[in-house]
Amino acid sequence: MSSSAAIGAIDHHHDPSTSTGIPNKKLLMWAFLASDCMFFGCLISTHLIYRLHPPPDVPLAKNVFSIELTSFSTFILLMSSLMMALAVNAIQKGNLKSMRWSILTTILFGLIFLGCQVYEFRNFVFEKHMTISNSILGSTFFTLTGTHGIHVLIGVIWLTSMLIYSFTGRLSEKNAIDVESMGLYWHFVDIVWIVIFTAVYLLEYL
Amino acid sequence: MSASASSAAVAEHPLEESKFSLYVQIAMLLAVITGLELVTVYLPFVKWLLIGVLVVLSTVKFLFVIFYFMHLRWDKLFCTILFFIGLVLAGATMWALLKLFGADAAKPLETSLLAPATAVRAWWV
Repeated sequence: MSSSAAIGAIDHHHDPSTSTGIPNKKLLMWAFLASDCMFFGCLISTHLIYRLHPPPDVPLAKNVFSIELTSFSTFILLMSSLMMALAVNAIQKGNLKSMRWSILTTILFGLIFLGCQVYEFRNFVFEKHMTISNSILGSTFFTLTGTHGIHVLIGVIWLTSMLIYSFTGRLSEKNAIDVESMGLYWHFVDIVWIVIFTAVYLLEYL
Repeated sequence: MSASASSAAVAEHPLEESKFSLYVQIAMLLAVITGLELVTVYLPFVKWLLIGVLVVLSTVKFLFVIFYFMHLRWDKLFCTILFFIGLVLAGATMWALLKLFGADAAKPLETSLLAPATAVRAWWV
């Protein structure tokens, strides 16, 4: 059997060298994501609690939000998740070139999402006059979506580092777990946005 | 790679070959569900029904991403259990907080009622 065929037999879902059968990096990432669930859970519930009992002078969220822009951001983030999944699939097959293109597209989509968020924040502050400190809606909204935006930014930096690292020749199918762990983080950012999109934006339009 | 070795590798991991089209199909499905969510908010139905539909649609999206894109479907069950521990704890905390602060007694006092109360000096002053 040639070396490439031998590599093709790598089982990326199980690692017999660990006591759990799960690669340690993957286990660490899942544990981190579980803890991050609680972090975002608290931020989302804080926002929803204040939306339950809004003070009389709070601006009407429906008049502030732009559902078209947010829907576009959601679509972009979903597509970035697809590209990330394809990047992991490519490196698991040893296709470095395809992985690079997929990661590059994921970075591009991540940057578009961040650009939309910056535009949205600017619009809220300068056009709608809603800041982080002048209303309870602004405080909870900017804290929640800003924290998510920082997660996206960290993801983009991580993706860029991985893309640069892939050119050193040290990234191969054998350490596909590094790309997979990064992929788990990126998909998590996507699922948090799925919840935010419904709980923060769509519910305001009912 | 020889043809026999290649077919042996594919036979060992038949899912690997079909994952590309599977991922694309799931992404299209997620985009369609997002469109449905958008349409849902403008439908002239009762609020509780629309909220229920939105929760179900976003849960479906959530589950597709974690089980397919995040590979939970093919990974060891322990990964799913570990993640769901965090998810259940977060969900239960959210539910408890919303129940606590959703009660009538948790409603913030009106400013007019609050002003005289803050003016009352504490007994020890």
